[in-house]
Amino acid sequence: MDTATLTTPLTISVIAMSVIFAVLIILIYTIKVMVYLAPYEEPPAPARTRPNPTAALVTDPRVPPEIVTAITAALGAHLGKSPGEFQVTQINPGQ
Amino acid sequence: MELSFGDALAKILGTTGFTGLTSGHGVMLVVSCVLLYLAIGKKFEPLLLLPIGFGCLLANLPFSMMASTNEGGLLYFFYQGVKYEVLPPLIFLGVGALTDFGPLLANPKMLALGAAAQIGVYTTLIGAVFLGFNLKEASAIGIIGGADGPTSIFIASKLAPHLLAPIAVAAYSYMSLVPLIQPPIMRWLTTPEERKIKMEQLKPISQTVKILFPIVATIVCCLMLPGVTPLLGMLMLGNLFRESGVTARLHETSETHLINIVTILLALAVGSSMTADSFLRLETLKIILLGLIAFAMATAGGVIFGKVMCKVSGGKINPLIGSAGVSAVPMAARVSQKVGSEEDPSNFLLMHAMGPNVAGVIGSAVAAGIFISLFGDVGGASPHAQSAFEAVAHIVSLP
Repeated sequence: MDTATLTTPLTISVIAMSVIFAVLIILIYTIKVMVYLAPYEEPPAPARTRPNPTAALVTDPRVPPEIVTAITAALGAHLGKSPGEFQVTQINPGQ
Repeated sequence: MELSFGDALAKILGTTGFTGLTSGHGVMLVVSCVLLYLAIGKKFEPLLLLPIGFGCLLANLPFSMMASTNEGGLLYFFYQGVKYEVLPPLIFLGVGALTDFGPLLANPKMLALGAAAQIGVYTTLIGAVFLGFNLKEASAIGIIGGADGPTSIFIASKLAPHLLAPIAVAAYSYMSLVPLIQPPIMRWLTTPEERKIKMEQLKPISQTVKILFPIVATIVCCLMLPGVTPLLGMLMLGNLFRESGVTARLHETSETHLINIVTILLALAVGSSMTADSFLRLETLKIILLGLIAFAMATAGGVIFGKVMCKVSGGKINPLIGSAGVSAVPMAARVSQKVGSEEDPSNFLLMHAMGPNVAGVIGSAVAAGIFISLFGDVGGASPHAQSAFEAVAHIVSLP
């Protein structure tokens, strides 16, 4: 194909973006239907421990804030809690 | 056969690489050393830039027979995996095995951010045509905006194999520069108040949905865009290995050994295509410029759509997660987290940004599928359907 005029790529772009949105919107609704048909069921609740409101955040200078963030996010996902509901107070970096 | 000392010496000297060394080889050896420096010294995508740089080095040693075009050479055979589009889908298999679609399934609206970020692909397509590339070449260059290395290589090898080397290098170089390219654009397009928005905790998703998603997504997307099947099919198969819970060995192999082996083969093959003939051209500079535009526009597209979703949702969505729609998993999500936490250290956006991030992988694969539908060799429709399409095209009369 030779060098095209600018109207052709513009038309392609508009159509392609429309198709991408169409495909992904269909996928959004497909996911919603799946989540509706197979909802999450709570596993038997483990004994809850109260968060310690007085605990301080990790202040160890050897632990970068990104590590604290990543561990907090991973714990939140694992425990099914918002990161605001608990605090990571101590991380022991490996030797 | 008898050889005098002088003849033997002359023959050996005549076969050394020095006799075949050209200025082009010299420049490409410098380029390969720059790539190796970026990988080792600066740690820019080292898993890819190191083997690409070394493949480039090998390919530019005269008489080594290591260029992708040297039939019978070692890297020629590695390159067949790129040429016949075997290696990029295998990378996607590993990516699927590594990817948790949970954050996306918990908030499927994030798929729209993955779609919006593909605007980078199409603005670059327009820019590439403006700079004199034909539509197939422009499509291959535009897909750099998807920030997805295997997809870029897949499309380049299909639509513009002569541009594979600069496209792959631009894609991987800019992917490694995501933490530098994205934050200024994100800060420029958002207000401090928007960056401080805290998002609600994601709802948990049942294992049944996690298992069904790769199967259903494959059926839906691949029926609509058959060209995307090698990439998306492998991505979803890898994810099914992960989520099904019955293929632990296949999952482990896909996410570790297989993806590592294929990465070595793919990166060496790409490096072997970086010869002076294919790389030292004005087009390479244009592609590098267009690649930067692609990444910038993709980031801007995601953030702007994130702002729209923020308004529509009544301020429940932090627009910063839109930038993660560019794919580049998980680096783009980490950038969203970093920029958000700069404004408010107690704001945790990482898991929220993983939704658009994996949506970006699907979005860029869909964008690739559209290019293949338009310019590739996908099987035709039935005669009845074909005549219907022709009738529609006649009515719409696209230019």
